[in-house]
Amino acid sequence: MPPIIRDKFTIHSKAIVCQDIEIRGDVTIGAGTIIHPKVTIFAIAGPIFIGNGCIIEEGAIIINRRKDVMRIGDDNLLEIGCRVECPEIGNFNTIATRSRVHHNVRISSFCVIGAGCLLAPTEDETLDDYTVVYGPSAELRTWSGRGKVQEADLRRKHAEYLKEMLPKFNRLRRGDGT
Amino acid sequence: MEPPIYYKRSEYIETDTGNKVSRRATIAGPQNIILGGKTIIANGAIIRGDLRRTGPGHAVVISLGRYCLIGVDCVMRPPYKTYRGNFNYYPMKIGDHVHIGSNTVVEAAQIGNYVEIGKNCVIGKFTIIKDCAKIADGTIIPPNTVVPALSLFAGSPGRFVEDLPESTQEMVEAQTKQYYTRFQPEADAR
Repeated sequence: MPPIIRDKFTIHSKAIVCQDIEIRGDVTIGAGTIIHPKVTIFAIAGPIFIGNGCIIEEGAIIINRRKDVMRIGDDNLLEIGCRVECPEIGNFNTIATRSRVHHNVRISSFCVIGAGCLLAPTEDETLDDYTVVYGPSAELRTWSGRGKVQEADLRRKHAEYLKEMLPKFNRLRRGDGT
Repeated sequence: MEPPIYYKRSEYIETDTGNKVSRRATIAGPQNIILGGKTIIANGAIIRGDLRRTGPGHAVVISLGRYCLIGVDCVMRPPYKTYRGNFNYYPMKIGDHVHIGSNTVVEAAQIGNYVEIGKNCVIGKFTIIKDCAKIADGTIIPPNTVVPALSLFAGSPGRFVEDLPESTQEMVEAQTKQYYTRFQPEADAR
């Protein structure tokens, strides 16, 4: 029999979380984080902490199969249909459309996982800051950091826009506390 | 002619203009979406009409032409960028006779007429696909790409492979029309 998962959602009052999502287990969502409809968040074994100002787009899947806490930092962008199981994600990463990251990868900060990449190393791996994963065979490179300010600005404005627009068209979910 | 594809009558809503929209598709902001008629939206598709351009008045977010098909579990969402310091989503325009295969993510700005897009593709932001182009299965088109008319694109990143014959337009037109007629409700008897 599978272990019984106790649902406990802590959603910051300034987070925008759509009603139409699948969410299980112990999940904490930080201020200003935006979760689009049709997102799946499964904290199967351990809890999931999502930081501030993240944008999680439709069809994204976040799963924690480990007993430990899964931490997702601040200002991350998880694009359409990506699948993330890694125990740690730093700040300001982009996980692009339809990419998959396995549970033995730790992501630092300012990384980009390209569209459609599959990141499934045979042993544990930590991506350093500014790593870019790209192409069909998931090659690695380092980003020079050019355009970082612009990118940060775009993300901030994007989150701001969604904060205003999403509630007009979608029902929102509130935490247990309220 | 190939055999009909049957669907459950209760699963689809048919409009006066012949659009068939699955009840299991997620359509956000339907007031901002235009369907041209005889367009099929399959199960599990996600269409984001809520991501509209800011500003007063009515904004069309996604417009689809006639005889289009949005495959199973497709995601259609308009592209975004900042322009002169303002963040905005921009409308997505899709022509007639466009087939989009299952599990494809489309963030294009413009798709012409008679375009075929395979399954499991990712069409990046602000991509422009011209008339009669074809995108093979599993292609990943990076943002801001322009796919010229009558060309086949494939791979990751999507690259030009070959020119398509000039008869493509007629072929695709016949194909999409045939698909629409094949797509029928299950017989009620029984």
